[in-house]
Amino acid sequence: MTETRVDVLRCGACHVAFVPPRSRCPRCGSAELTEGTVPAHGEVLAATELAFPPPGFPAPHRLVLVELEEGVRVLATSPAAHARGSAVHVTREGATFRATS
Amino acid sequence: MTVRVAATGITPFGKRSEGLLDLLDAAGSEALAGGGRRPIDLLVVGSMLAGSVGGVENLVPQLADRLGVDVAQGVRADAGSASGAAAFHVGAWAVQSGRAQRALVVAGEKMTSAATPMLSEALARSLAPSEVATGATMPGLAALVAQRYAARFGEEAVAACDAIAAAFRTNASRNPNAQFRSAVSPADVAASRPVAPPLRLLHCAANADGAVAALLERDRGPVTVEGLGQGVDAIALADRLDLTGFRATRLAAQRAYEAARTTRKSLRVAEIHDAFAPFALIDLEDLGFCGPGEGPAYFASGAGASDGVLPLNPSGGVLGRGHPVGASGLAGIVEVCRQIAGEAGPTALPGRPNLGLAQSIGGLGSHVIVTILGAAEADG
Repeated sequence: MTETRVDVLRCGACHVAFVPPRSRCPRCGSAELTEGTVPAHGEVLAATELAFPPPGFPAPHRLVLVELEEGVRVLATSPAAHARGSAVHVTREGATFRATS
Repeated sequence: MTVRVAATGITPFGKRSEGLLDLLDAAGSEALAGGGRRPIDLLVVGSMLAGSVGGVENLVPQLADRLGVDVAQGVRADAGSASGAAAFHVGAWAVQSGRAQRALVVAGEKMTSAATPMLSEALARSLAPSEVATGATMPGLAALVAQRYAARFGEEAVAACDAIAAAFRTNASRNPNAQFRSAVSPADVAASRPVAPPLRLLHCAANADGAVAALLERDRGPVTVEGLGQGVDAIALADRLDLTGFRATRLAAQRAYEAARTTRKSLRVAEIHDAFAPFALIDLEDLGFCGPGEGPAYFASGAGASDGVLPLNPSGGVLGRGHPVGASGLAGIVEVCRQIAGEAGPTALPGRPNLGLAQSIGGLGSHVIVTILGAAEADG
């Protein structure tokens, strides 16, 4: 089953949505936060492949910066290469995200 | 009352046999030899990895013991890869406020005896935990920034990075303290092994050992501290408003120019943070030397050459000197000081500058520190 939405927090003061969760809005510092979701698909802003991954991450290790709706951005890993501007689906994977076509 | 840089010290950077305390001692002792072996009111030690990689903690008395002079007060400063600059600011604040008449600032790092995986993990602690959980590294994130820059301003930015890396390596070949003494061509840079596309090996600074020191005094010394500024931005790249520039640099520069009551037009030398070649392009724009997206054209114009209007990284910068991470920020400051004081030796610019700027980036642009230095009129 594919998740179709990503859990986010929305700031009641400045209305920005963000992930991962934290106790204050990263933009304005307000603690007036409510839970919500955004669709789990977005656009690849940038993608690269690390020739020297950190310990615990086997090569090739790909990093993808994805923009979801409402300007929510996530850093994700990926099993495949993605061109800038291409559409991807993101799923939560432990403490991080995975992007797939 | 002016805060002055009375003397400086620096060790060669690279793979050294000495340990961290040896390196800190060597740089600190050189500064004391130049400025006088008298008691120090404040010892500030800058280092990011002293404990985790260098194997030493409690650096103030550790170093004071080696230096062999009385130290009244001390503190260690950490700002990740900008630690050396942070240490300088702490020393300058103390002299400015009257808390210290004599502040010795020493910054250093011992990195090359550590195994690569351990070093990689230590360096990644500068990143957001969510980024570490994603297996991000500094080069990986720098590559994403470079891609956004190229997407916004054009792919020719990558070729500009090849030219920048080559130019700063050429500068480093004149610097006897630099890790890299051989020049490379833009073609060499473009052919070097991929690290994280579009970044290649020669676009990225190398880990190194080394230490730097500056002795700050009230009203005594050839160089004045004209302006200090810092900026702090969101830790995670995904949370940044701007993915093609560092807001922390713009804030730091604005504050430093304002404190110095000057603008970039009066600068005659700059040491900018180029741990990754694309950061140099971004630095030029964030420091106001040129407008957004104009970095490649500005660099290609020759403005940053040693005989240009604003010579850049005469020491070779982080790319050419090598990157003992906690020391680099102070290395840029000390190079600017030496250029102003007429003590730069082999890296001396054809025209002696009377005003210069040093910029140091901590983390992935999450904490940036800018220092503006000038020429003293006469001793007070």
